[in-house]
Amino acid sequence: MPIKKRGTGLTAVADAWQLADIDVTASYPIRPYTAVMAEVAKRIANGQMKCEMVHGEGEHAQFSIAHGASMAGARATTGSSGVGVTYAFETYSPIAGGRCPIQALIGDRTLDPPGDFGSEHTDCLTLRDNGWIYGWAENAQEALDNSLLCFRIGEDPEIMLPQIVAMDGYFVTHISQDYVMPDQAQVDKFLPPFKPEFRLDVNKPVIMGPQIEPEMGPPLEWDRNVVMERVKELIPKATAEFNKIFGAKYAPFVDEYMTDDADMVFLLQGAHAVTCRSAIKYLREAGYKVGMCRLRWIRPFPDAALQQILPKFKVVGVIDTNTSYGAAGGGGVLLVETRASVSEVANKPIIQGFTSGLGGETITHEEFFKMADMMKQTLDAGKIIQSSTWVNFNDYDKAAIEVKAAWEQAAPSTK
Amino acid sequence: MPKAYKQVPFAAIVKSPTVNNQGMVTGNWRYLRPVVDKGLCTECKMCWISCPDATVNYSKDDGISFNLEFCKGCGVCSNVCPVGAINRVPELDFED
Amino acid sequence: MAVAEMIKSIAQAPEKEYYLPGHRTCAGCGPALAYRLIAKASGKNTIFIGPTGCMYVANTSYACGPWAVPWTHAQITNGGAVASGIEVAFKQLIKKGKIKDEFPNIIVMAGDGGAIDIGLQAASSMMYRGHDVLFLMYDNESYANTGIQVSPMTPYGATTMFTPSGPEIPEAKKFFPKDPMAIFCSGGHPEVKYGATASISYPVDLMNKVRKGLAVEGPAFLHVQCPCPKGWTYPADRTVELGKLAVETGMWFLYEIEDGVKKWNYMPKKLKPVEEYLQTQGRFSHLQPEHVAKMQAWVNQRTQLLGMEVPLPPAQ
Repeated sequence: MPIKKRGTGLTAVADAWQLADIDVTASYPIRPYTAVMAEVAKRIANGQMKCEMVHGEGEHAQFSIAHGASMAGARATTGSSGVGVTYAFETYSPIAGGRCPIQALIGDRTLDPPGDFGSEHTDCLTLRDNGWIYGWAENAQEALDNSLLCFRIGEDPEIMLPQIVAMDGYFVTHISQDYVMPDQAQVDKFLPPFKPEFRLDVNKPVIMGPQIEPEMGPPLEWDRNVVMERVKELIPKATAEFNKIFGAKYAPFVDEYMTDDADMVFLLQGAHAVTCRSAIKYLREAGYKVGMCRLRWIRPFPDAALQQILPKFKVVGVIDTNTSYGAAGGGGVLLVETRASVSEVANKPIIQGFTSGLGGETITHEEFFKMADMMKQTLDAGKIIQSSTWVNFNDYDKAAIEVKAAWEQAAPSTK
Repeated sequence: MPKAYKQVPFAAIVKSPTVNNQGMVTGNWRYLRPVVDKGLCTECKMCWISCPDATVNYSKDDGISFNLEFCKGCGVCSNVCPVGAINRVPELDFED
Repeated sequence: MAVAEMIKSIAQAPEKEYYLPGHRTCAGCGPALAYRLIAKASGKNTIFIGPTGCMYVANTSYACGPWAVPWTHAQITNGGAVASGIEVAFKQLIKKGKIKDEFPNIIVMAGDGGAIDIGLQAASSMMYRGHDVLFLMYDNESYANTGIQVSPMTPYGATTMFTPSGPEIPEAKKFFPKDPMAIFCSGGHPEVKYGATASISYPVDLMNKVRKGLAVEGPAFLHVQCPCPKGWTYPADRTVELGKLAVETGMWFLYEIEDGVKKWNYMPKKLKPVEEYLQTQGRFSHLQPEHVAKMQAWVNQRTQLLGMEVPLPPAQ
């Protein structure tokens, strides 16, 4: 029977790893992801999980240990945050190129400076070009579910790629919330055992990762590219099956909220969607026809889905909780990718960027109101006023206070 | 002209060889060929154990012989021979 | 601890090869000979991990390789960590009954860079954590695959691409090398129960040390000197000869440390002057008498430090 639990995104992923019967995990402490390893260690100590936990001497070792374990045929996991993610950088391409479908949990965190524990998506986005499948979970339930989905997709014999279950540090990793731990039988139905075609086996010896001829390099990279495209096809199928078995209601790529009649939408990923939804309720009452599109995946990027969805709107405000200094258009990674996705689409909306929620700050209602106000100005002008805006730094809104006042007047009882 | 790419297996994972690696045939590196004088050879196998390329063969019936498909002609076998039974002869002196 | 089956002589060495003909290593390559002897000693039930280095690049250049047993690449940085993952995976998969394999011999074949320089952190941690892996350092005393650059194992006084000699720096390399045995096998890594130095010029001793290292439960370390014709600049046929000369001049030692007890495997009756060794190699050809004297003093001091009681040449 599924169990109703109260916990965090980290305990939820520990539940997923327990249900997936992982064989090896590799730890190293860094906040905020650390607690998942503390939880797994406890479960190994009390016999709840049968798994080898290796205490790596750093993140580079963690990912290398998981890589080795995967080559030997084990279902292996690891995880990290912030500068830990970047310390392991050398290992990401060899793991994906070696087609080892390990899973990492990344509880995101700012890179230094600032020496800040706060959530920010930059750390995990830096490795987006290596061939890892990943997206941000909005809450503990989605973290657990994404972990199972990722194993299923990444270990598919036609795919064989590593995955990251990414989540906002603290907002998802540490805020206690309700979620449901599914039943073992459900998981067994959804996730077959990991049986790679090739592993290190003295009875069927193979050479893994030899140097290749220059004429072999492009075909090998083409293959990784083709497989990533194939992930785009598998995500809707696997999500539909997941929804059926677990009684969930996930959209495959883009979670839409109040978009039916919207002329403007916020486009974002991760836990700030929670605040965004509640801000939208207030904005709706103040007369803003605004909705939200939340990306469930960053790799592969849901370009086809956005090509279908975004032409419904007139203005899209992409909220980047990451930095990409000097990027095209001045915003972050999501702005660039979103604009690129619909660049050739007729009736494409005006797309503007916002940078907000850096350094672990919440994106407050007032800030959503400001952004809505700026998007409204774009809507009225019918053209871009400012390509990208760092909220609270170079805003051009008439002040969120007016929005708030309008709302207070319109709906004082719901305050 | 179209580029000639080479197919590469899944993740460049290849089967291990069992006898030798035909992907790198090195006999054509050699300009001095080892030749054993069977009259002098004591079959101590010092040359066999010292070959970096596993190209010195030994059998009870035939004694020491060389795998010329792969022998690079480094001369270690000749150098380690305690009785001077291995000569290094220029390749051009041979017909094959 | 399993008891290793010892090889008594060359005549008794296993005939079967697991490091086969067909690799692009230089003619007379010392590390290639090491690989062959190690693979011979360890046999079929073996998995090799090859961090980047000569023994990766020259062995696998064309999507192929010379090993008859499973082999995988690791980064030059992480041989110890990848091996750790492989080891725990086998333990767990066997324990859970997910695979029917016999637990394999797991050997990391790291060069001096991959073992004691950029790979040191991963090697140290693997040994600290007690993984049942033989960490083998084939030492050709430089970063050779990139064209001979200085490594911590490059001897004092040797030229490399990064340590040329010139009027300002007449001796070329200024520092004396690290001592990996002191780092790994002198109590600093308590899980390491067996460690040894070996040389390709003493093949039976080397093969037996591989077997001993594999027989101990937990990590073992082997430091194998492998002369390199290209890096040391000498004719390719002298590889085995120079390995012997290194031992006879005190530029290399053959000993093992088992459960903390040191044992000498071979000790020359008296050391030959180090100059005899230096003269054989182009990398030392620029050295002046004062540099040779400094080297002799270092050899003598090290010999005494290691407890090898043999007559020493004068160090001026």
